[in-house]
Amino acid sequence: MKERTLFYALLVPAFVIVLATTLYPLAYSFVTSFREWDLTKQRRPGDFVGFQNYVHAASESGFQNSLWVTTIFVVTSVILTLVLAMSLALLLRRKGKMHTFTRVILILPFAMSPALIGVSYRFMFNPEFGVIAKGLGAVFPALEGVPWLADPDLAMAILVLTDVWHWTPYMTFMCLGGLASIPRETEEAARIDGASNLRIIFGIVLPQMKGVLLVTAVLKTIFALKMFDQVVTLTGGGPGTSTETMAFFIFNVGFKWFDMGYASALAWILTAIMMLISAWYVRMLLSERKMTTA
Amino acid sequence: MRKPIAWWGERALLVLISVVVLFPIAWMFLTAFKQPRDAYSLSLNFAPTLQNFVTVFSDPWNLGGMVLNSVVVATVTVAIAVPCASLAAYSFSRFRVRGRKFLFFLILSTQFIPAVVIVLPFFLMFRNLGLLDTRVALIIVNLAIVTPFVIWMIKGFIDAIPTDSEEAAMIDGASRLRVIKDIVLPMAAPGILTSSIFCFILTWNEFLFALILTRRDAVTLPVGLVSFRTERGDLWELMSAAGVMITVPIFVMAMLIQKHFTRGMTAGAVK
Repeated sequence: MKERTLFYALLVPAFVIVLATTLYPLAYSFVTSFREWDLTKQRRPGDFVGFQNYVHAASESGFQNSLWVTTIFVVTSVILTLVLAMSLALLLRRKGKMHTFTRVILILPFAMSPALIGVSYRFMFNPEFGVIAKGLGAVFPALEGVPWLADPDLAMAILVLTDVWHWTPYMTFMCLGGLASIPRETEEAARIDGASNLRIIFGIVLPQMKGVLLVTAVLKTIFALKMFDQVVTLTGGGPGTSTETMAFFIFNVGFKWFDMGYASALAWILTAIMMLISAWYVRMLLSERKMTTA
Repeated sequence: MRKPIAWWGERALLVLISVVVLFPIAWMFLTAFKQPRDAYSLSLNFAPTLQNFVTVFSDPWNLGGMVLNSVVVATVTVAIAVPCASLAAYSFSRFRVRGRKFLFFLILSTQFIPAVVIVLPFFLMFRNLGLLDTRVALIIVNLAIVTPFVIWMIKGFIDAIPTDSEEAAMIDGASRLRVIKDIVLPMAAPGILTSSIFCFILTWNEFLFALILTRRDAVTLPVGLVSFRTERGDLWELMSAAGVMITVPIFVMAMLIQKHFTRGMTAGAVK
């Protein structure tokens, strides 16, 4: 009985914080999502309008564009980050001075502010005096004068690049941790039997890494769905609306047009998408656990 | 003895990775010490100057105020989040009470909530309370993001500590709170420090909340970057100088926890 009381007592401070800072606002925006509320016209919340804000979302082109942009962004950045992180982890788990050095500096991109990453890539891809734009132009004459960030597809590619640069290190650390926790015996036995490196990686190492890779994929997907900082500082959502992610679009609806009802509804749609994807991953993870323990 | 091609290939790959990692950072540092006209040329042959740092710290940019805001917001957020999270993490790690898994999942699931959802109601609330553009507002919303994450991280570290000495002490009649204070906290200290620094980095780099909730007085460094985008165009050399100010403290901290960081990252994740 006393244990139980202490268990809850120790949780109280953290729960007070979490309830006050997330669950309360969440409930508030849920209610707001069923109201009409134009902040430029009224200070107080307006009338309840049922599902009108949600119905509006289903037919509004700006939101649909942001859904599409987010989908492309999430898929490409998750796949690229995961493949790179796993490959880097396989390379960096070996011993050696250069390996250690690379592991150490790998923490830097992760520690860098995403807003600043957006700014620096914007600078480096400037067609007139950006070092990457100029450098690529010098090596490949065909790329000279390419208006990198003014082209919708290239702007998206650079946005993905900044995100992959930022997150690959963190995900590499997770993969390294996963690699360290799997037993080496089978791998060594296979090596003695003369199996090639590729066969060992695909036949022995990767199957054991499934769980870790799934967790990494969940985290990366969640982070990618929230993509906002670099959109502001790198592309501003442009050119046109080609890099307007959902988070950026919701920000515009809420804080440029001050349509609180619609912004809340959109925010809830984004939350629902994240919950669904996470639930799906968790199910995969659980069935994965069952298969390995059975 | 000649090294095989694979050996050289591996080294070349490592060099390439290091270049990809370091180049954007190095370029920013170089630009920060260039005069404006050099910043727009790609030449490495320039006379370094500290002028950009002088400029960003004087009118109208006043980076000093932003540095102070960032330091205060990040420090206070850590000071509140980490102690509360440590207690919760211990509780989740050691007690076998029914409902434990559900509560832990409830805390973690708040991480799936996009920051935009949280910031809308907070914006309206702070507007009514007159708290817009204050550090207090930023600290409150940052706690929302940071607390669940720190609980998860510290729990990973505490899970990794063997329970033997705790159990022995309790059999000898020590109370739970004594055990926490005298055994668990000292052993978990490196993990708690790592989590604190991690939490500091997250708050220090936070952009969305600060962009929406501040205008002038409580602006933090990442949002300050945007102000170097003027009618005269982007002032890259000043942005870079500000960028150096943002990154140096964080890089120092990141290097300090580098070793623990890799472990902490994985302790919680792999379970």
